[in-house]
Amino acid sequence: MIIKRLFSLFVATSILFTGSIQIAQAAMVSSEQVAQSAGIANAEQDRQRIYAALSREDVRSELVKRGVDPMQVEQRVAALTDEEASAMASQIENAPAGGIIGAIVLIFLVLLLTDILGFTKIFPFTRSVR
Amino acid sequence: MSHQSRILAFAFLFAAALLSGCAAQGVREVTQNTQLPRQHELTATPFFPQELYQCGPAALATSLNAIDIKVTPDQLTPEVYIPSRQGSLQIEMLAAARRHGAVAFVIPPRLQALLEEIAAGNPVLVMQNLGLSFAPSWHYAVAIGYDLDKEKLWLRSATFERFEMTLSTFERTWARSQHWAFVVKRPGELPVSIDADSAARALVGFEKSSPPNVAQQAYLPAVARWPVNLVLLMGLGNTAYRNHDLATAKQAFEQATQHHPRSAAAHNNLASILMEQGALTLARQHAEQALQLAADDANLKKQVQQTLDEIAAKASPRQ
Repeated sequence: MIIKRLFSLFVATSILFTGSIQIAQAAMVSSEQVAQSAGIANAEQDRQRIYAALSREDVRSELVKRGVDPMQVEQRVAALTDEEASAMASQIENAPAGGIIGAIVLIFLVLLLTDILGFTKIFPFTRSVR
Repeated sequence: MSHQSRILAFAFLFAAALLSGCAAQGVREVTQNTQLPRQHELTATPFFPQELYQCGPAALATSLNAIDIKVTPDQLTPEVYIPSRQGSLQIEMLAAARRHGAVAFVIPPRLQALLEEIAAGNPVLVMQNLGLSFAPSWHYAVAIGYDLDKEKLWLRSATFERFEMTLSTFERTWARSQHWAFVVKRPGELPVSIDADSAARALVGFEKSSPPNVAQQAYLPAVARWPVNLVLLMGLGNTAYRNHDLATAKQAFEQATQHHPRSAAAHNNLASILMEQGALTLARQHAEQALQLAADDANLKKQVQQTLDEIAAKASPRQ
């Protein structure tokens, strides 16, 4: 908890100070920033940036917690846009994760029936009546 | 058979009769569509059979290899798979495609859009819930063919190279993921069914993880198709700038300011280019306009102020 709080503080201050750091490149507004402001009220943007940075940290630790190799996590998080990082931070537990063709045993008969009716397709051998 | 179980059996049959009465939504719409070819199948699409829970990596490998990006499911597993969830998340499927140099476009959530893509030669990676909403069985597969007269659809799915489903069943299993599907393309090519906003979202994500010259090439056809979209114009300008192609950058930002005269970002970036080209007076005009337009956005204002400072420094260099 404390680590998380310290990190938020670090992110917040580093974002506040980026403006005063002299950057060699011209002050171009990034495409990502334009894309975000197309959907978000302007005053919200600073908060969004802090939130996105925090989300990245969240996603990082959540992925490690869920068994992803820490060596891989860095690149996986880096591949996300701010918008995606925020979405993932809030969804990682509950968003559908495609992969399984299981969970059949419990309700085998129900699914067999629904397969035949064409509502599901669990069993490759069923032919839907529709 | 006891009395009770007989009632249960009747209830089941009754429910079955009710359920089979309704065809899945959207199916009739496409079977009566006269624009679509009646059938089409992308038979050359490669196939990678899935191992245990790895339908994400397998489907993604199928899609990427179909556009000649050579990658195996084993290589993709550490990029998308989450062990404790025993599966892969949608967002990471898109991100992993980008990591391998493809642009991943989420297509409109309609059967018609999916079939249009297949007809145009693009295999479509779909997310389905093959089970029921309360007992989900989430699955990724790649739709590669259809026949509107037979009302059938074919997929590279799990361990089946040519998995057949009725359009109706497919539509129901697909609807449970809110009709989520995407098409991968090489930079410089676009799917047929998408709108400007989903193109912009895909390309902004691609820009983030690609070298500027490749990203610039990826923006070009999108700007050609939607020449007034602000995000696309800014994306083309920014990637061209990073690619040291000032002429293209200037043209894109000029177009952006013409179609979106109230965009502070467009004026600011145009000012930066003009400054680098030595047109300081014009640069200052655009930067000042940007400052006015940025009004209550502190962050944007700071960036514009920096541009103004740079212009001032260039106008009177300290010797």
